[in-house]
Amino acid sequence: MNSRFVSLVRKELLDAVRDKRSVMAGLYYAVFTPLIMCGLFMVLITQMSSPDDLKITIVNSEGAPDLIRHLNNNGISHSDDASQRKKISLIISDDYATQMLAAKPAEVALQADSSNEKLADSIRRVSRSIERYSSEMAALRLIIRGINPSVVQPIKLNKQDQATRDSKGGMILGIAIFTMIYSVFISGMNLAIDTSAGERERNSLALLLSHPISVRQLVLSKITAVSIFAMLGLLLILLVSKVAYMLVPWQELGFSVGISSTFIIAMLIIGLPVAVMASALQLFVSFMAKTFKEAQSYLTIVLFVPLALSMAASYNIAPDQLRWAPVSGQQQALMELIKGKEIPLLQLLVSCGFTLLISIALALGIERMLKSEKVVFGL
Amino acid sequence: MRLTHFFAIISAAFMAAVSGSLIADEPVSDENSCYVDGLSDRLRCGYITVAENPQKPNGRRIQIHFVVIPAIKNIYPDQAFLAISGGPGQSAIDQAPVFERAFGKVRQQRDILLIDQRGTGRSNILECNEDEIISPLEFAYEEIASADEIQACLNSMDADVSQYGSETALADFEAVRRHLGYTTLHVYGVSYGSRMAQLYMRHFPEVLATVTLDGVVPMQQSVLAVGLAVDRGLELLIRDCEGTPACHSQFPQLRDRFAQLDSRLAEGPIRTEVFHPMTGERTPFVLTRDKFLGALRMSMYAQNIRQLLPLAIDQAAVKNYQPLLGLFSLTMEGIGLAMGMHNSVVCGEDIHRLSDTMLQQMADSYISSLLVDSMSAACDQWPIESVGEAFSAPIVSALPTLLLSGALDPATPPDWADMAMVDMTNAVHLVATDATHGVAMQSCAGDLIADLVEQSSWQNLDSSCLEEGARGGFYLNASSVEAATEILSVQQEPQP
Amino acid sequence: MIKVANLSKLIGDVQALDNLSFSAENGQITGLLGPNGAGKTTCLRMLFGLLKPDNGNAEIDGIDVAVDPTAAKQQLGLFPDPFGLYERLTPREYIRYFAEISGLSVEQAKRATADVIHDLQLEDIADRRCKGFSQGQRMKTALAQAIVHKPSNIVLDEPTRGLDVMSTRVLRGLLRDLKDQGHCVLFSSHVMQEVSALCDRVIVMAAGKVVAVGSPQELCDQTGQGSLEEAFITLIGSDEGIAA
Repeated sequence: MNSRFVSLVRKELLDAVRDKRSVMAGLYYAVFTPLIMCGLFMVLITQMSSPDDLKITIVNSEGAPDLIRHLNNNGISHSDDASQRKKISLIISDDYATQMLAAKPAEVALQADSSNEKLADSIRRVSRSIERYSSEMAALRLIIRGINPSVVQPIKLNKQDQATRDSKGGMILGIAIFTMIYSVFISGMNLAIDTSAGERERNSLALLLSHPISVRQLVLSKITAVSIFAMLGLLLILLVSKVAYMLVPWQELGFSVGISSTFIIAMLIIGLPVAVMASALQLFVSFMAKTFKEAQSYLTIVLFVPLALSMAASYNIAPDQLRWAPVSGQQQALMELIKGKEIPLLQLLVSCGFTLLISIALALGIERMLKSEKVVFGL
Repeated sequence: MRLTHFFAIISAAFMAAVSGSLIADEPVSDENSCYVDGLSDRLRCGYITVAENPQKPNGRRIQIHFVVIPAIKNIYPDQAFLAISGGPGQSAIDQAPVFERAFGKVRQQRDILLIDQRGTGRSNILECNEDEIISPLEFAYEEIASADEIQACLNSMDADVSQYGSETALADFEAVRRHLGYTTLHVYGVSYGSRMAQLYMRHFPEVLATVTLDGVVPMQQSVLAVGLAVDRGLELLIRDCEGTPACHSQFPQLRDRFAQLDSRLAEGPIRTEVFHPMTGERTPFVLTRDKFLGALRMSMYAQNIRQLLPLAIDQAAVKNYQPLLGLFSLTMEGIGLAMGMHNSVVCGEDIHRLSDTMLQQMADSYISSLLVDSMSAACDQWPIESVGEAFSAPIVSALPTLLLSGALDPATPPDWADMAMVDMTNAVHLVATDATHGVAMQSCAGDLIADLVEQSSWQNLDSSCLEEGARGGFYLNASSVEAATEILSVQQEPQP
Repeated sequence: MIKVANLSKLIGDVQALDNLSFSAENGQITGLLGPNGAGKTTCLRMLFGLLKPDNGNAEIDGIDVAVDPTAAKQQLGLFPDPFGLYERLTPREYIRYFAEISGLSVEQAKRATADVIHDLQLEDIADRRCKGFSQGQRMKTALAQAIVHKPSNIVLDEPTRGLDVMSTRVLRGLLRDLKDQGHCVLFSSHVMQEVSALCDRVIVMAAGKVVAVGSPQELCDQTGQGSLEEAFITLIGSDEGIAA
């Protein structure tokens, strides 16, 4: 019994490894997804973060030399070269100096398009810099009048941010973990189709069933083979991610996204039940199809389910109950882990339990299907 | 109004932090996450326990507290950037927000390590709890603390004060480093902290990758010589105003007015009535010579407060004491020095090193003599042995070392850094034209230090940003720094 | 030995098998002849337990397929139509795989595979992937798969369909060899020449029933016809669905 199972799995893997389509699907996904994501993030970071030397348009800078000096010290300066400067204008009012001297508010206008995300960081920097200058001056004005500036700070708000440097990257981590979980679906998909609908298509299914093996053995061996493929894809994407994420200058956004060895191990353990479920689900769907193409089109639709579950978990858009569900539960647990928080063990166990239950139900479904004359012979 | 930043500037330059409390998630045990006032980030806090007297390992034990500001992206987990505070007597942990801001670029890739040196902050702080019955505004503390007061202070401390010198403290730093598992340190020391950094270079060069000395106190120099630098600072201030057309035309007689006021105060304090800077209530104000010079001295530490000084002197000369009152109020609450620890260091390492010529020089300076006399009184009773000759030897080192000085520094003038580096073969000295004391906190030097740390060499540092243009103008009236000529030209424009 | 008794099966509205009984003996080649739709394939699938009969049973070497399908199938080799090759495997891997799942140990399977490759003279293609094989090569590989575990019974479903003349000749030779080795060979066909050239016994089926049983000669005698072809037409009442 046991050696037959091994033979079945070995043949499936041998066959799959020689199938370029199966291998490439997983490989391309695992290698290129993290690379493309990291590439995009790198572009995004350089576009969104304000340059060290920020060039803007300053109108009437002669009107406020001390303010301009302050801005220059913070790396903000005027440039006549339109190609170098950002589309931010600072207009110093003509009566700036008179107003200042009279201790009346001097007006400065900041013109920029706040919906332009590439500018957001720079706009914030300019306005923060001016606010800082203003409050510094306010304090000095109080001192010179014999008043301690702490008088006008009735409340000292001490912020205590409980985020860790890892948890600040939550959104990106959500996507990263999603791509990893999704990899178990993508990596095994071609093999799942090939070994089910493909088997039907080339008429080897009846031949297999004519041999002294039980249908259950056959189903389990196929699930095992697809799961192994899925896990290999997962391992690969983890390794590629580990390297790729290291190259992105996250620190410029004020947080870091790193794939630790602990995370890799946890991901592999937590990913295993998901891989089994993914395999069972894909086999179940593909066995309903008579041809490779047909199975492919079914699966494209089915794969939307884990996508939705994962997204829901990342962005908290779903009802709370979803945290018990497969995929979302694991995704949430992994996010907690990477944020350095405690893993919600109960939630994880329940969701893994559900995942396995669904896998078993699907496996039983496949077994039933393969015993049905209709499916095997299309009668 | 946003004043947080302003306070940070003041405290950075004073090397005195707002008295902050450390809030830990739980009672600080071995290691925990915690927060420091003024910094919202979650930090790692902890302490190690060491023998107070290393010769008596079974004797009393004290805790040495530390804080790690975790790297944003920890590329070098076995390295840390150790920032050492000045004073002597300041808490490095209280200054976490200041250091975090100055060394943000360093922090992107490396942990920043702050240790409360023994006798400061949370590490068995040595403070004298004087009961202040009289308001500091009224108090005329020209008299030097009496022997009884010093004795009372000594008695109030639960410590063997002879164990709070720099070299003993250095061993604590090493113990913390080993405890945290860092193999390599990039060390930064400001003001008195530069002495700790130099001792690190002398005793444990093998664990250092780079060294930055900021506002340098050379080993050869007694820290009490800062008194002389105060006079230099005042001279620079007056010349600065004379050299600035707007300031000179507004305060043409600044030098004379300062001299007049100083000699007036030398005769005796000025008694007047003011509105209390905090409560707004009428209160008597006794302006003594040491309060006057002390307030000026402290104001010169911060670039922006220094901008107020010509106006404050000018106004005081015409009997408007509000500006001086405002400046004085900034230091009223104390400047965050643990005086017991301060005394242990100065009495053990500095007071005996003042040469006769130097004492002569200092006797001519009011501030200096005040400083020497009050410290002598304390040290007469302070039970600590003087360090030996070898302590004063210049540091011999080939470590990549950056020395920073502010041209306007009222405490450690730039030639002190030159003195410190005589036997350093791999060192460079940069002078920031517009900086006062603690260059890293008031210029682009923090980024230069990040480059030094990154490259482990000072060869490629671009120091042009230290050169000029960073100084704000002097306040011409109580509201503005903008010169009158420009105002005139604007006024000619028709106004809507 | 293969024996079926009273097999009935209703597929949809059609009575595919109607109380079908026959047996195929060891050391004989038995042909299951009938027009398209006579129920030949349905009958063969029942031998492998792939279809469940409504009535009746099938025995392989005395083992009831419904009772112990695994043991029964162990005594069967199937030469399917179509062949169902795995294009990415070599014949050696393919044959060995089926040997293993037919119950041979890894070692036995290896040896048996080598033997059958030798017997069928497959050496030259044994380690090439099946993709691009000619019909003859495919047929030999499929046959090797059917006999690698040395089953006492070999079942062939329309074995010569799509084969060229040469391949057909080779196959015939191989089947005769199997008969000489004492195997029970059962094949279905709708090709008359095939049957007359090979079979020791012919079972003529029509509409799910056995119409006649006997050697080709006996059938001719039974119907009083001179040729087998004429005999068939007489037996099944028409020549529809039968190839000459």
